[in-house]
Amino acid sequence: MKAARIVMVKELVEIFRDRKIVLNGLLLSPLLFPLLIIGLGSLAESRSRTQLESELPLPVIGAEHAPNLVAYLRSQNMDIEPAPADPDAAIRDQEKDVLLRIDPSFPEDWRASRAANVEILHDSSRQDSEIPVRRVEAALKGYSQQVGALRLIARGIDPGLATAVRVNHRDLATPEAKRGMSLAFLPYLLILSAFLGGAYLVIDGTAGERERQSLEPLLATPASRSGIMSGKIAAACVFGMLGLLLTLISFKLSFAFAASGPFKGVDVSLLAIGKLLVVLLPMVLLGTTLLTLIAASVKTVKEAQSYMAMLMLLPILPTVILLVNPVKNALWMFATPFLAQNQLILMVLRAEDISPAQWAVYLATGLGLGVLLWLAAARLYHREQLAVSA
Amino acid sequence: MIHLENLHKTFKTKAGPVKAVDGVGFTAADGAITGLLGPNGAGKTTTLRMLYTLMKPDVGSVRVDDRDAYREPEAVRRSLGVLPDARGIYKRLTARENIAYFGRLHDLDDAQIRRRTDRLVEALGMRDFIDRPTEGFSQGQRTKTAIARALIHDPKNVVLDEPTNGLDVMTTRALREFLKQLRAEGRCVILSSHIMQEVGALCDHIVVIARGKVAIQGSADSLRAQTGEANLEDAFVKAIGSEEGLQA
Repeated sequence: MKAARIVMVKELVEIFRDRKIVLNGLLLSPLLFPLLIIGLGSLAESRSRTQLESELPLPVIGAEHAPNLVAYLRSQNMDIEPAPADPDAAIRDQEKDVLLRIDPSFPEDWRASRAANVEILHDSSRQDSEIPVRRVEAALKGYSQQVGALRLIARGIDPGLATAVRVNHRDLATPEAKRGMSLAFLPYLLILSAFLGGAYLVIDGTAGERERQSLEPLLATPASRSGIMSGKIAAACVFGMLGLLLTLISFKLSFAFAASGPFKGVDVSLLAIGKLLVVLLPMVLLGTTLLTLIAASVKTVKEAQSYMAMLMLLPILPTVILLVNPVKNALWMFATPFLAQNQLILMVLRAEDISPAQWAVYLATGLGLGVLLWLAAARLYHREQLAVSA
Repeated sequence: MIHLENLHKTFKTKAGPVKAVDGVGFTAADGAITGLLGPNGAGKTTTLRMLYTLMKPDVGSVRVDDRDAYREPEAVRRSLGVLPDARGIYKRLTARENIAYFGRLHDLDDAQIRRRTDRLVEALGMRDFIDRPTEGFSQGQRTKTAIARALIHDPKNVVLDEPTNGLDVMTTRALREFLKQLRAEGRCVILSSHIMQEVGALCDHIVVIARGKVAIQGSADSLRAQTGEANLEDAFVKAIGSEEGLQA
């Protein structure tokens, strides 16, 4: 125990002497968060505002076939442009967001009161054309309903007859939850900074110590191997938690500044920040012990670093799976690393209640797994090959 | 006193098992310098690693001051001062901090560490660089720091693996004087070397190791008598069977 404390203090003294590492490890993510939150927030807000409210340029093919429709679209704040020579290419090359083609048979169908054909050309895989396409659709639908109703009235029929069922929505999402929807990327960033916050210290302290040939003298002291290893893990945990604390403080401050836009009203009260800290603490332990396990079993720092890319992908897995296959919160989720943190962080930010059972399952499995990895790493430290460098 | 008996150690490699140490045994007395001489790859480092409990022998026993190294490894390490083959020091710490770190791991308090560091600084001539970060130290400064760190707890037994490796002539001479001083203080000193002249000049008891076995052992006079050679270096070469990997 005493050895662990001595090793921990020495590792921390050493790391705080290296300004570059302290800057990268402790200050990078606290600086990144405000940029991301304030920057992305204002970007998203200004984009949706300009796309929703500004004049929409709309190239129309065959505008001469439907002068009334074109006049209606103009009245809906759209700037009707002549069609480009190759409309398909214009969409594919992303020169135009959306195009409207009016069928040459439009006037004939119109006069015969048949459904006249128009066609919207767009690329559904392009996110930034989503709003323009929706605007054109809405305008066309409005025009169609308006003229259709007039036609029914002209024939002495109540237009209401054509509507058998009227669908109304009552949205019960809390305002916090609605805002939380735009937060899908935040859990990943928070989990990642907790998970890999102590990474440098771990790799430097195990694989690096071996590579620099200072591990053998250390193991020749009376300090026990598990004591030495525990000291190194503890140092990485302290460093990781310090980084986490700074990240959460900057997180709170940046939401305070981003008072408008999609992030308005996210719950960043002190209580919520405290909860986030509790949610992320097991992640620090997991990341540190897992990395120690890896770094103690490889020969060089380079080899240890090559695992980092894989570890960075781990926290993103649940987010991706949930994106493809959204599921309801169930208790088993709180026992699954990464998924649990992801769900809990969203719940905290959306100001939802987390039940004592959920907390208990989460903390028991999170900390339990951390302790298990700790013991596994301690076992690995007793291997003979560990000490022998190169 | 250190007693090694019939040590065996085999390593598994891709090319099959390699017998690194094959029945090494000797006794190193207090107040004497015992030298392990042998070409590179003879098994000196592996023998010493088993002595300071880094590795467990397949067969054989190690006793340090009548303590079994594998029943009481921590007590044995406490009574040993070890300069291993790998002697990396922490670059972001000063020489003094490097030494103090090991002192704390040996359960010394700050006053003891200060007192003993001062004595080692004096004995090893480290005054010019003791408070400098070790980044950019010369090989000699690094070795001195590593030796001071190994001896901070004032151990009765001192084990040094190739202590003069890579040192210049002046530093080597100073280091030899320091080793004689340790002997005069009644300590049990073991060092390994592949330099014949060094072992001949310094050691009271010489253990010649080749291919994992003890080829011959005894005092310088005894080795000359056993081989029938008047010159000690000729005696070494005759015992090993070749000069390869040795240095005059």
